[in-house]
Amino acid sequence: MRLLLTVVFTFFAALSVAASEIRVPAQVTAGTAITISTSGSGEASFYLIGPASANKTKVQAGSNIPVDSDQLEHAGRYVAILCASDGCTAANFFVNPAEANRLSFLVHPSRIPVGTPDGISAVAIVHDSFRNLALKPSPVTFSIMAKNEKPVSAARTSENGVAWVRLTSARKEGPTRLGAAIGHADEIRVVQQVAADACNLRIKASRDKRGFLIETDPVHDCAGNSVPDGTVVSFTESDAAGKTTVDVPIKRGVAKVEMPIDGRAKITVASGVVTGNELEVAGGQ
Amino acid sequence: MKRLIPIVLAGITLILIVLAWFQSGGVERREMRAANSPDQAVRLMLSQIQGRNFDAAYARLANRSDVDRNAFAREFQGSYGSLLTYASLENFDVAPLHSSDQDSTVRVHLHYSTAVGPLDDIRDLKVQKTGDTWKVFWPVNNATKLPPQVIPVNYLRWDVIGRGAGDEWGVQNVDTPQVRILSMNAIQRPDSVVLVGEVVNEDSVPAFVNIGATLLDAQGNEIAQESSFDKIAHTLLPKQVSPYRIDFPNMRMEKIKNVRMDAKALLVAASADPVIEVNQQKLETDPLGKKVLTGQLTNEGGQVVDIPHVIAAYYDSNGKVVWVSDGYVAQPLLPQVPVPFAVDLPPDVAKGVQSYHVVVNHYDRVSS
Amino acid sequence: MKATALRYGSLLIILSILLLGVVAYRLRATADDELPRVQLNADNIGPRPIEDLTSKTVQRDYALAWQTMEQAVSENKSALLDGYLTGLAKEDFTKRVDSQIKSGLHAHYTDRGHKLDALFYSPSGDAMELRDHAQLDVQILDGGKVIYDEPVNAEFIVLMTPGADRWLVRQIQATNGEKP
Repeated sequence: MRLLLTVVFTFFAALSVAASEIRVPAQVTAGTAITISTSGSGEASFYLIGPASANKTKVQAGSNIPVDSDQLEHAGRYVAILCASDGCTAANFFVNPAEANRLSFLVHPSRIPVGTPDGISAVAIVHDSFRNLALKPSPVTFSIMAKNEKPVSAARTSENGVAWVRLTSARKEGPTRLGAAIGHADEIRVVQQVAADACNLRIKASRDKRGFLIETDPVHDCAGNSVPDGTVVSFTESDAAGKTTVDVPIKRGVAKVEMPIDGRAKITVASGVVTGNELEVAGGQ
Repeated sequence: MKRLIPIVLAGITLILIVLAWFQSGGVERREMRAANSPDQAVRLMLSQIQGRNFDAAYARLANRSDVDRNAFAREFQGSYGSLLTYASLENFDVAPLHSSDQDSTVRVHLHYSTAVGPLDDIRDLKVQKTGDTWKVFWPVNNATKLPPQVIPVNYLRWDVIGRGAGDEWGVQNVDTPQVRILSMNAIQRPDSVVLVGEVVNEDSVPAFVNIGATLLDAQGNEIAQESSFDKIAHTLLPKQVSPYRIDFPNMRMEKIKNVRMDAKALLVAASADPVIEVNQQKLETDPLGKKVLTGQLTNEGGQVVDIPHVIAAYYDSNGKVVWVSDGYVAQPLLPQVPVPFAVDLPPDVAKGVQSYHVVVNHYDRVSS
Repeated sequence: MKATALRYGSLLIILSILLLGVVAYRLRATADDELPRVQLNADNIGPRPIEDLTSKTVQRDYALAWQTMEQAVSENKSALLDGYLTGLAKEDFTKRVDSQIKSGLHAHYTDRGHKLDALFYSPSGDAMELRDHAQLDVQILDGGKVIYDEPVNAEFIVLMTPGADRWLVRQIQATNGEKP
């Protein structure tokens, strides 16, 4: 009897001094609730350390500890620690990204001359709903919607969460919409195709009340695209009275200026580093 | 004894008052009040203008019947938010040019202190003797007056819509404008090294531009860093070219091995108006013997230009920029009303100048 | 004589041990102040080739980012994260520090180095993705008590973007190293 009692007593004593243990799932998907089981007895502190959190709660060792889904939204390495009277024990687990459902869409540049080969770069960085990098290969659909042209689509599979494509700018000036889509995400960006430098810049002169009206022909680039309004055209006139210069912005495709001219005068024109023709005129007194 | 102390105290007080009167220029003021000479008459008038006592200054004019009092005051107070509205007459110099018994010509050099630095104005004034006193014959301002009217301003305007604070990283920002430095020329001056050149806005949107430069020694260490400050037309419309100048005071070329240029461009809301014609540009010598580029500015647009700022680039026979000079114009540019300007350049630089290009920058109360 | 020699000898040994202990502690502290070692392998980078200067800058700025992250979670000062972190990385570490402050915890990292493999460099140069094999000793402390102390070989996927004068860590995510 005494022996039996000793054995029973020793058994329970051994149980009470057994170290607490903690068991975690090996892998978890972001945004999923889990339960962490523990062994041991008595009051304990439970710690859950993650990429964006470090929480501490009082628990009973030996109980199952629920972890809410909102504590596991960030993908990465987590450490669960249980500290009881007999010391601390820990276990690690990984939270993996959920399904790809969001995009960061980078498009460069926002303005580009027409007809530039591979001039536009479009990069999609794939995330799950919790903004974790979704590293599983996923198909991303890129689309191009140029003004007055049919939309074109192409699919690319992401690698390490990134998909990308290079595009040639449109032949005509105007805004082009670029899209990238995955899951519920559909992002649009606008790239403005602009005319290149002015080409064959030509001026003509006609008499008016103040002297002469100097006007450019409609200003185009070499591909025939209109140079945008607001682009500066510099007129220079030299006569006996001295030199006259005016920087005039293009308005409705044409730049024009009135100049009083005394005697013979030479008129030149330029836009940026592009020069145009020269005119020689004879003004009144 | 009782009465002696108050008498002595009163006497000392009187002596001190008299001394103070002498000390503060009482004698001079008395002489000036008399305006017994052309010099005194002009100084008296200018000191009253300096004290903003325009009525008293106006009373000193010989031809008040021809000169409007308000127009006279505006010549010193400024109007339309011009540079003079933010200025005060700091001091002046008066030098006689030639004189006779009844009339005289006097050169006055007015020194203003303004919001953008010192501003000088030189005028030749006629002074006439009327009775016993000399009075200033003020030149009548025949500048074209702008009648009240409504002028449409319909040049292009640009506005910038950027990424919002709450927008996610991937939301596209509009790219900053592409600008390019066209040229850079380093020049040794007696007391400084000056970098001059031109920059172009190659983009299709307006750019706010600033040019910076860092001087490096033979070991690649930075020895000085400066920027163009206001010696550049900051807001450049698409394809617009501006000169720039960067000054490094107390620097020698021998210390410099390399120059690192940095053109910073920002998106900015802008207007294509005003369009300013720069005409009758001429390189000439002014009455003081200085080499100056003169001309006239005419505002071809509808928006008043409060503070015009002229920046001129000078080229040698190879088309290289050899100097950049700038100057603020004290008068506003009203639509179609020509205003003269002059910017000076060093005489040794002027010798090699073959051509020049003027750009007009402007600062307005109403944001463009 | 012998007893005196023995006494002095014991004193000397105790003093030496103390001195070595202090030196070891100071060295450890000095090691903490030094930048973490970072090696970058850009052999497989694409589509854009990496410039020499960019390569050096990325290594330096990544090391500085880790130094500031480690300091922030050790001293519970989220302001330290402003220098080399941005976007989600800065948000997440700020939440981590705030969480630690609330729970009375702090973390101590001993950084034994990082081996970076460059995976992607965007054509316009505005984003770079890297894989980091990091070796760290991680300690978690509750007040002054160490509750966790383990060496960790971790793998991170890192997204870096260029700032005004440096490269910034925009996102850093630990993975379990398995091919997706």
